[in-house]
Amino acid sequence: MIVLSEGDLQINLPAGAKGRKFDDGMSHGLSHCMKAVDFIVELDDKILFIEMKDPDHPNALSRDRKNFHKKILSGDLDSDLKTKYRDSFLYEWGGARVSKPIYYLVLIGASALSEADLLTRTDALRRQLPVLGPGEKPWKKPFVAGCAVLNIEAWNKAMPQYPVSRIGI
Amino acid sequence: MSKINHVRLENFTAFANLDQALSPGVNVIIGANGTGKTHLLKVLYASTAITSGEDQDKGFARKLLGVFNPYQARMTRLIRRQQGLPAAEITVTRDDGARLKAVIDNQKADVKDVRVTGETKWKGAGLESAFIPVKEMLAHAPGFLSTTSKREIAFEEVYVDIIKKAFLPTLKGPIATNRHRLLTAIQKAIEGKVVSKGEFFFLKNSQGELEFTLLAEGMRKLALIWLLIQNGTLLSGSILFWDEPEANLNPSLMGEVVEIILELHRIGVQIFLTTHNYVLLKEFDLRRKKNDSIRYISLYRDEKNAVVANASDSYAGIDPNAIAGTFSSLYDRELKRSLGGIVK
Repeated sequence: MIVLSEGDLQINLPAGAKGRKFDDGMSHGLSHCMKAVDFIVELDDKILFIEMKDPDHPNALSRDRKNFHKKILSGDLDSDLKTKYRDSFLYEWGGARVSKPIYYLVLIGASALSEADLLTRTDALRRQLPVLGPGEKPWKKPFVAGCAVLNIEAWNKAMPQYPVSRIGI
Repeated sequence: MSKINHVRLENFTAFANLDQALSPGVNVIIGANGTGKTHLLKVLYASTAITSGEDQDKGFARKLLGVFNPYQARMTRLIRRQQGLPAAEITVTRDDGARLKAVIDNQKADVKDVRVTGETKWKGAGLESAFIPVKEMLAHAPGFLSTTSKREIAFEEVYVDIIKKAFLPTLKGPIATNRHRLLTAIQKAIEGKVVSKGEFFFLKNSQGELEFTLLAEGMRKLALIWLLIQNGTLLSGSILFWDEPEANLNPSLMGEVVEIILELHRIGVQIFLTTHNYVLLKEFDLRRKKNDSIRYISLYRDEKNAVVANASDSYAGIDPNAIAGTFSSLYDRELKRSLGGIVK
């Protein structure tokens, strides 16, 4: 089993999956000009780009937590998420590693986010990336197969095969 | 000034036994259709309306009849439909200890036979109150009052009442700073002031006067609040009942409406509102300040199909949250669409 961890959050991947820390200054080499998602996971028939944000991190200050919630709800985070995806995609495309459809999963460790909030942010991310091309028609060469914004609870409900948990620092 | 602090409804309309403590600040009532949100508002309004103005002579029983308007004026139609049909009991309590009680017997449909106790002491408080119904009425004011006084029409009394309140003349004397601030904030949102000519209302600004029939419905609602503050209906110690403030309102205006409600609460107006709207609910959660007093009352049907309530003083504690619940299903389906086979 492979475990990917970032701060206090970890994802367990089934045997056979290939996962790597992508947002790593040393191995990435271009972090001065390209942003990066936290992890890239390769499954049999698809690739997952995973970005994690953890406002509920046990060491987070209450003020920072509140500010981050506001940032998420207001949509200020959307453009950051979009850029991370696009830069990561270009990096992988340039490295000739885009051989399967890519799904973008944003995990936000904030239990206070309601499903209404998560739905709104998922909609916004679909529009920002954008998942569809001009005129709401599919791209001839789609560069993202789908995306979603989830918190831990929603993630584990939708994808129990890749369980997320807190490490408990 | 005293506030309503408790309500008990037994076998009344949808309620089997509702026993609910109320906040002196803002009471936000949520629940699916048919859980009696508006009924709760109307009962409380009937109790406050009889403490001032011409409704004082009417008394609680007649006011209940007027605001509920049951078929053939039969009060027994307000008893919860069930086997045996026991009597319905309404008890409203204030923080000054006054207690108003009405009992509707199942054999006696006439309003004269409703047994009311505690009314004399209750009426002594002189609470100003206003009930804003879902349907906007100011644009339809011309001729409405004279028609209702001469003809039997199928409008609940809350519609007549709000038009009468809107027609009250401007309060004399200087306006306190906090009320002035509120009036200015609303004027900014509606871009003008409200003036009336005879029975017609207009929005007046630098471009002239616009009749209410040409004004967006959401704007008319804010204009009504402006009128009620200006003519002294909404002052410290008064009570505002607002049925679905979100009706006909663009979500972008919701924040301002919530801010106005919170400001009214901060100057000492007790508020009861119902809502179906997520944005409104969330705006309360995000805009509330530390000392604000907000209670969320969630109405739902139990296994016996009777309406019961759960109250919480925080947004996160609302349970069941019928409004957020609808998003749950949408979100699940969105994840399935967006992530295809990844979602189990």
